[in-house]
Amino acid sequence: MQRDLSVNFYIIFKWVIIISFVFYAVFPFLWLVLASLKTNAELLDDPFKLPEVFQFKNYSDAIQAAGLGRLIINSLVISTCATFLNILFASMCAFAIARHTFWGKNVLFLMITAGILVPLNALIIPYFAIINFLNLYDTRLGLILVYCSVGLPVSTFILTEFFKSIPKEIEEASFLDGSNFVSRYFRIMLPLALPGLATAGTFQFILCWNEFIYAMLLTSSTDIRTIQFGISYFTNQFFSDYVGMFAAVVISIIPSITVFILFQERVITGLTAGSVKG
Amino acid sequence: MKIKKDEVIWLLIFIAPAIGLFFLFFILPILFLFITSFTNWDGISAEFVGFENYVKLFNKKTFIRAITNNLYWCLTAAIITVPLALIIALLLAHRSRGWKVFRTVLFIPQVVSSAAIAMLWAAMFNSEYGLVNFLLDYIGFSDYQNHNWLGNVRTANAALIGFSLCYVGYFMVIMLAKTASISDDYYDAANIDGASQFQKDVHITAPLIKSTFFLCIILAVIFNLRQFEYVYLMTAGGPANKTQVLVVYIWNELSVQRLGRGNAAGVIMIGIGALLLLTLRKLLKSETYN
Repeated sequence: MQRDLSVNFYIIFKWVIIISFVFYAVFPFLWLVLASLKTNAELLDDPFKLPEVFQFKNYSDAIQAAGLGRLIINSLVISTCATFLNILFASMCAFAIARHTFWGKNVLFLMITAGILVPLNALIIPYFAIINFLNLYDTRLGLILVYCSVGLPVSTFILTEFFKSIPKEIEEASFLDGSNFVSRYFRIMLPLALPGLATAGTFQFILCWNEFIYAMLLTSSTDIRTIQFGISYFTNQFFSDYVGMFAAVVISIIPSITVFILFQERVITGLTAGSVKG
Repeated sequence: MKIKKDEVIWLLIFIAPAIGLFFLFFILPILFLFITSFTNWDGISAEFVGFENYVKLFNKKTFIRAITNNLYWCLTAAIITVPLALIIALLLAHRSRGWKVFRTVLFIPQVVSSAAIAMLWAAMFNSEYGLVNFLLDYIGFSDYQNHNWLGNVRTANAALIGFSLCYVGYFMVIMLAKTASISDDYYDAANIDGASQFQKDVHITAPLIKSTFFLCIILAVIFNLRQFEYVYLMTAGGPANKTQVLVVYIWNELSVQRLGRGNAAGVIMIGIGALLLLTLRKLLKSETYN
């Protein structure tokens, strides 16, 4: 009897904890979406009351007035290019490291992956100087290069582990067939490593899309700026248009959540493969 | 695999881009940071000034406050966020119905940008329309009507650090994945002995994911050392520099062109990071061997 009681308590405890954290994680987002569909006057009212009319106008206003369309396209272009380059360079390097023996290989791998632990935000002043020196200040290329490089350690780590897990025999067979280095990479390894590429790519894309500090540091014109900086700009531009600001924040959130929902198994396995071993 | 002679050139071509970018954006900036931290560089000219930047920084109250705030963030993550994540991971490890949905939902704050989260929570804490005050009022704490959480010297830090609990999902997912590798034999044996679910969680699952728990603490410390967006967008370090953190401090030095001083702060930040990491690793090693 007493036993049953404690079992029940544990089950109640369990669901209280889980539900309250789900509430904590999700409720603010629901509130944000609801608030973004109200008028500024309704916002000051009861937060749980549905708006009289759903103000989808807030979204079109945000896109037009703040030029969000431009910012979203910039973000997409920069994130896509940076992800592509990052995965290309990281997979090339990972292929060399994982499938070959050469002098200095272990040092190279250790050095690049140690980059994961560097608190990069300490380096904002040097990054600013380097990008200026390369004449890349306020260009998309500058941001693409920075994002591609910042993600290299994680991508190289994930992909090296992945390449190592592919059986050697497959590659050796083609080696005997006389296929060369480059075609082994493109024809054999890349197709086999697609799940690994997807994992690393998803990570990299979310990192690029969400990045804020370098976007603020390295660009200045509205033609180049990205969405993350764009939404913070809202606070200054429209002092009192809170609902417009909320609509912009919702718009900025949608792509990363979509990518996550689509690739969630990849994100979660990649995250754990990467960090549990490290 | 051994490489053929004529393939050496290809090997070099394959590793060159990664090495080049790593040099340009990791090694060079760190060297640059270190060297210029001993100068009064302002973007135009630089003169060697020895340790002056460091001495000045350590005499600045705001800078010390920034360091202690960063340490608060790290400490909160290590003693509250990660242990809470452990509890949730242990509970979801029962894999009762719907556990995958809860896992996904709890992870969502992690994939949303810090800038968006910062703006969302700034709105939550807003004194006029924020949800926090409304809920407090609703359950009976009417003192907090129109309380400006982020603008008040006493509550700004608590509010900032409190909201960061929404990141439990990240650490929970890492620890939960580790529980999947635990063999069922342990649980079968415990079932025969008539162990309750609670006993199994505390005496089997928890000890077996201890190393992952420590790993999460290390990750939490790194993240909280380099955090910028929350403070910058929610309070900008205020009120009265109460919520200042290192990266925002460096940013402010950059905007007044005291680049040498800012870089000295950067060197100190990297130093603190390295020190924390080494200490934690040492603790971790001694824990795993005991």
